[in-house]
Amino acid sequence: MELRVTESSETELSIEIAGEDHTFMNVLKGTLLEHDDVSAATYDVNPEQSGGQTEPILTVKTESGVDPLDALEEAAVDVREKAVAFREAFEAAA
Amino acid sequence: MSAEYDVEFVEREDRDARFLVQGITPAFANGIRRAMLADVPTMAIDTVRFVENSSVMFDEQLALRLGLVPLTTPPVGEFVEDDTVTLSIDVEGPATAYSGDLVSSDDLVQPADENVPIIDLKDGQRLEAEADAVLDRGKDHAKHQGGVAVGYRHLQRVAAVEDLPEFEEPDRRIVRGVIEEDGELVPTSEFDHDLSNRYPGQEVTLEDVPNSFVFHVETDGSFSVEELVTRAADTIESRATELENAVQL
Repeated sequence: MELRVTESSETELSIEIAGEDHTFMNVLKGTLLEHDDVSAATYDVNPEQSGGQTEPILTVKTESGVDPLDALEEAAVDVREKAVAFREAFEAAA
Repeated sequence: MSAEYDVEFVEREDRDARFLVQGITPAFANGIRRAMLADVPTMAIDTVRFVENSSVMFDEQLALRLGLVPLTTPPVGEFVEDDTVTLSIDVEGPATAYSGDLVSSDDLVQPADENVPIIDLKDGQRLEAEADAVLDRGKDHAKHQGGVAVGYRHLQRVAAVEDLPEFEEPDRRIVRGVIEEDGELVPTSEFDHDLSNRYPGQEVTLEDVPNSFVFHVETDGSFSVEELVTRAADTIESRATELENAVQL
């Protein structure tokens, strides 16, 4: 997973997350939107054959005073916790 | 924030199961589904060396057919990508070569089904080949797809509202999946997917239960449903961990 920041300001961040697809990006976006300090989150990805930018680009906007990179890190932790919680709940039922 | 999930099995067999997950967002449910299809590695034949092929099919066609034979996938940690397992096949006509004729060099990697036909050999025709199986993901080739029919539907809550007028022709009310009835989970196959069978002469309401999804998971035999689901959750976890570490740098 290679990260490359394409645009960055105090409350807005665009970051390319190489090697990922909708599987992870949509989970990440959904988790970012659950975050209280995130005012907007989206990602864009183009088909492989389209040429140009084909890696997904995640854009995060935060409320003032919150670094979007911190929000992204917290979202990553949330996704990990979700995956662990899901596996544990599943194993408990299995 | 940590999510609380609640999982309950509705139907359960080794290769086929239905289970309800409560408290899951649509985004995460779809992530799990996609991970089961494309991101859980399985073993499949990738390279074939033909010693003799006097059958009616080209080597390439047979290689594709061999590749599509589901192989049992060893537990996590036994194999890494690029490890290979050799399987050999030697069948002489008149006979049909089946997946069960494949002889594996490793007990952990065996054909998941014995009865997949590979080629019908006529008198005097022979197939002798050596094949290397590798671990890869469904994203790269469908033969590495462990889940063959993976999907989910909203859990649906049914409630009877009132009796239909006595002489009204009852309409069929088709619903598929699993319904919730006073807290009980009922697969719709129990009443032929038709609510008018279960509630004759009554008007019923049907609503999706938010954040409750009934997954239907079927595997190709590479591993059990439990393995597939836990490994799919693991792939998402590992990518989240990777992102976490990458952001911290």
